[in-house]
Amino acid sequence: MTNRQKTQTQASYFYTVIWLVLVALTIVSFWLGETGMSGKGVMLILLVITMIKSQLVANYFMGLSKTRLLWRGIMFFYFLIVGSLIAIAYLMGVG
Amino acid sequence: MRLNNSSNTLNNENLPGDFALWIFIFAEMLAFGVLFVAYAFARANDVALFNASQLTLSLPSGVINTLVLITSSYFMVRGVDAIKRGLSKQCVHWLMGTFLLGGVFVGIKLVEFNAKFADGITMSTNNFYMFYLSLTFFHFMHVLMGMVIIACIIVKARRGAYDAKNYVGVESGASFWHMVDFLWIILFPLIYIIR
Repeated sequence: MTNRQKTQTQASYFYTVIWLVLVALTIVSFWLGETGMSGKGVMLILLVITMIKSQLVANYFMGLSKTRLLWRGIMFFYFLIVGSLIAIAYLMGVG
Repeated sequence: MRLNNSSNTLNNENLPGDFALWIFIFAEMLAFGVLFVAYAFARANDVALFNASQLTLSLPSGVINTLVLITSSYFMVRGVDAIKRGLSKQCVHWLMGTFLLGGVFVGIKLVEFNAKFADGITMSTNNFYMFYLSLTFFHFMHVLMGMVIIACIIVKARRGAYDAKNYVGVESGASFWHMVDFLWIILFPLIYIIR
């Protein structure tokens, strides 16, 4: 196997692992929804899963992990701010 | 600003694709972000109504569409990876897979919309459905726009417009499609699951 083929195989393997992690996290979210669980803890778990998934797509599928800190920071803070505001709103609505 | 030799991309430190498209992507993210937060705060004012209405949605449809979009994003990144290696044919195959999965998403969403309209549900039914229909339809339009972009890239790629040194068009389309994906990744639990 040439170096080029080796690099190609490694890249394919990496993207496949990211995809499988995304699928697994989606199934966990679905399971939490199917069981009808609710409350602060479940809401926070679901939001954390969502933020992890979004970051995986942005960093590795979009390729932002290879860009300068500014772009990764914009994306990270977007997910953090939107996620935090959603969490605050849900906490206001609990009980 | 500097010129990226590998992709002929004029941008700030290698944002993938055309920098002008990224301005559009950030604007879209902002618009969706405001809608997501508005939904969450509207829900806080009427939790019982939102929870009851949420139960009428098809959770299996939502999760299938999530898996479809995630997989389409995976196909897209494989397509970008292929063209960066000069494998134009492979790139076209991956992009066609992405396009087809976009079509599956659209089909499932149309069935969902149709079921809601058949039940007499409209945007004026209640606040939950106003947000559900407007958010999902707004996203739906972005999926369609993404599919048009992908179709154009496929046509150009088949004509040999892209290679290992010139793939900024493929990267731009991919960036837009991944944005459509992660916006759905936020939208899905927000509208379908969290209660």
